[in-house]
Amino acid sequence: MASGFASKWSKVGRQLLGGVGNNFSGLLSTSHEITCGNPLFQQQRTFIQMRTVLKVVDNSGAKKVMCIQALKGKKGARLGDTIVASVKEAHPNGKVKKGKVVYGVVVRAAMQRGRCDGSEVKFDDNAVVLVDKQGQPIGTRVFGPVPHELRKKKHVKILTLAEHIA
Amino acid sequence: MWAALRSRSSSLHPWKQGIAVPPGLNPTAFYSSSFTTATTNKAFLSLQEIEKVLNDVRADDVKVLSVPNVHADWADYVVLATGRSTWHVKNIAQALIHKAKQKQKGVDRKVLPSVEGQEEGKWIVIDSGKIIVHALDEKAREYYNLEGLWTTETSQKEPNLELEKAFVKIRPKNNSKKPVQKVA
Repeated sequence: MASGFASKWSKVGRQLLGGVGNNFSGLLSTSHEITCGNPLFQQQRTFIQMRTVLKVVDNSGAKKVMCIQALKGKKGARLGDTIVASVKEAHPNGKVKKGKVVYGVVVRAAMQRGRCDGSEVKFDDNAVVLVDKQGQPIGTRVFGPVPHELRKKKHVKILTLAEHIA
Repeated sequence: MWAALRSRSSSLHPWKQGIAVPPGLNPTAFYSSSFTTATTNKAFLSLQEIEKVLNDVRADDVKVLSVPNVHADWADYVVLATGRSTWHVKNIAQALIHKAKQKQKGVDRKVLPSVEGQEEGKWIVIDSGKIIVHALDEKAREYYNLEGLWTTETSQKEPNLELEKAFVKIRPKNNSKKPVQKVA
């Protein structure tokens, strides 16, 4: 299952077209490319908020959780933030059962997150690692790529359990 | 470009607490910015100092791994230590921080290694840039099995060979009196 990530090296932003067509026509020659680069045809990803279903990428037993609350941020959670979630789907014999309220750290988000060197990183899916209230991971392994941003957010434990660091 | 990068990083990440390593910067850029401020290279404990501190605290089962493959670009050494109780684990963390503080005695702005999991003494991670120290208690060490994680990742190629052999078709031995019917 490919959950790759795309990092754009220039902050292209959403204000490409609409008046700046002069510069743009030099870059894109065919109409197909214009269509693909058009912000009207690109999906605008947003924060992780209440009712967002996320995938669980550790071996704690849960498969899907639904976000109940993003702990920090008015608009919602982003990459590296902690959320409160309810387990919607779980493996039959796992440490967490369906219906349990757990905390989680977002390790992959479809919404792009800017890095300090100007690049942005975004993933194909929304994924979360379950932790307890003190920040200890419940599972013992984390699958898939995780970004560097977790180090700054003091989630080095999740980084050490990860199999691939993006 | 480097000047702009440095100024940007210093404005966004104040150095008052923890190792605010901007994740986008590579280690060479990090060192170039640290040489301008001569204080920051004192902050990081060397491997020998950490070993000495762990010996003083009498931590059990100290292991030093140089992680070349997965964690190569953000750490050089990973040190694992076990404590006999939660209090012991917290004490290991406190001793390392104390050593870092002692090292930077004359400096007006101290850079301390970032500590995670301090209030619950089950697994404390001390992140000082190049060297990451994990202090666990015995149960946590067994549960998370970090050595298994890091020694199996180097030997990931080996199971593949056995896998190829495993799928070789083996003809079943025919011990019956009936001759084998040839499939046309």
